[in-house]
Amino acid sequence: MSNKPVYDREHHVKKATGIGDPQCFAGEATPARFKVGDQVRVRDLPDLFYTRTQTYLRGTECTVSALVYESPAAEDEAWDNTDKAEWFYSLVFKQSDLWSDYPKTFGGDTLETELPERWLESA
Amino acid sequence: MSDDHKHAPMVDEVSEFEILEIAVRELAIEKGLFTQEDHNAWTEYMHTLGPLPAARLVAKAWLDPEFKKLAVEDGVKASLEVGIDWIKTMPTQFGTPSDYCSFRVMEDTPTLKHVVVCTLCSCYPRPILGQSPEWYRTPNYRRRLVRWPRQVLSEFGLQLSEDVEVRVVDSNQKSRFTVLPVRPEGTEGWTEDQLTEIVTRDCLIGVALPKPGKTANDPRPIRKALKPYNH
Repeated sequence: MSNKPVYDREHHVKKATGIGDPQCFAGEATPARFKVGDQVRVRDLPDLFYTRTQTYLRGTECTVSALVYESPAAEDEAWDNTDKAEWFYSLVFKQSDLWSDYPKTFGGDTLETELPERWLESA
Repeated sequence: MSDDHKHAPMVDEVSEFEILEIAVRELAIEKGLFTQEDHNAWTEYMHTLGPLPAARLVAKAWLDPEFKKLAVEDGVKASLEVGIDWIKTMPTQFGTPSDYCSFRVMEDTPTLKHVVVCTLCSCYPRPILGQSPEWYRTPNYRRRLVRWPRQVLSEFGLQLSEDVEVRVVDSNQKSRFTVLPVRPEGTEGWTEDQLTEIVTRDCLIGVALPKPGKTANDPRPIRKALKPYNH
């Protein structure tokens, strides 16, 4: 008899079937640190192997427009670590903050995207 | 049945990626990760998809302010009204690593225009919009839209004045997005079916505006490469 721990390769399927992903993580996140309207900044964390936080967003200030869902961050989920869910935020950036040479004529242009809480700090 | 004609070959040319897909698929079936029946069910499901349900969702939202509110607040719930269950229609019953069950409908106003891109790969709300167009997946569209959105929209024939805020939506996590454009003038008194016809796939991605009489996507111009690669 082997004492090798048994890893359940189907744990995510069992959890999400009929409920949906990210719906299956609802209620699991630590309390949200930010609220709609907050000014935040995208952190420039090291990313080893996998991330979904684009370089062009890092270090830029933005406004929280919505708390969208709870889920493990992609950086953990890529390795099947799904036990630590966190809030995901929809964020609105000014294009002129992202690109220094963005035409001033179109200074009102914006970009919206989502990031998990670990990538954000108060601005 | 006459036998005097030549049968067309099933496959003209198989690319390396297709060979790779077949090899990985056959290995996965051999290993028992999924069965050929699973694969058939998935392929058949994918072939049923297209942009019509999303077009109908927009038409319904134009006609019914209550439904518009629901669509903007909870796209997954609103999709049920047009026959798309983001969770249960899919053979997996929970989505896939590419088709998560978070769907957001981005509402345009006369001074706000959304346009969708995925800079990371080509995430697209497939359950309700079908397969993405080829250009949506190209590195050029993906990297240029976030950087020079006005120029890219111009290339699609959409020039917006400076009073309009262009908002690029980068679909980089689990939400998938579609655009709810402003209902165009000249559609007063139209039925839901009539309105659905003018909401093309390009309108739903945000690179075009709905217009009475326009029921198809514009052809994409193909520009010759400056330095063509000779095979």
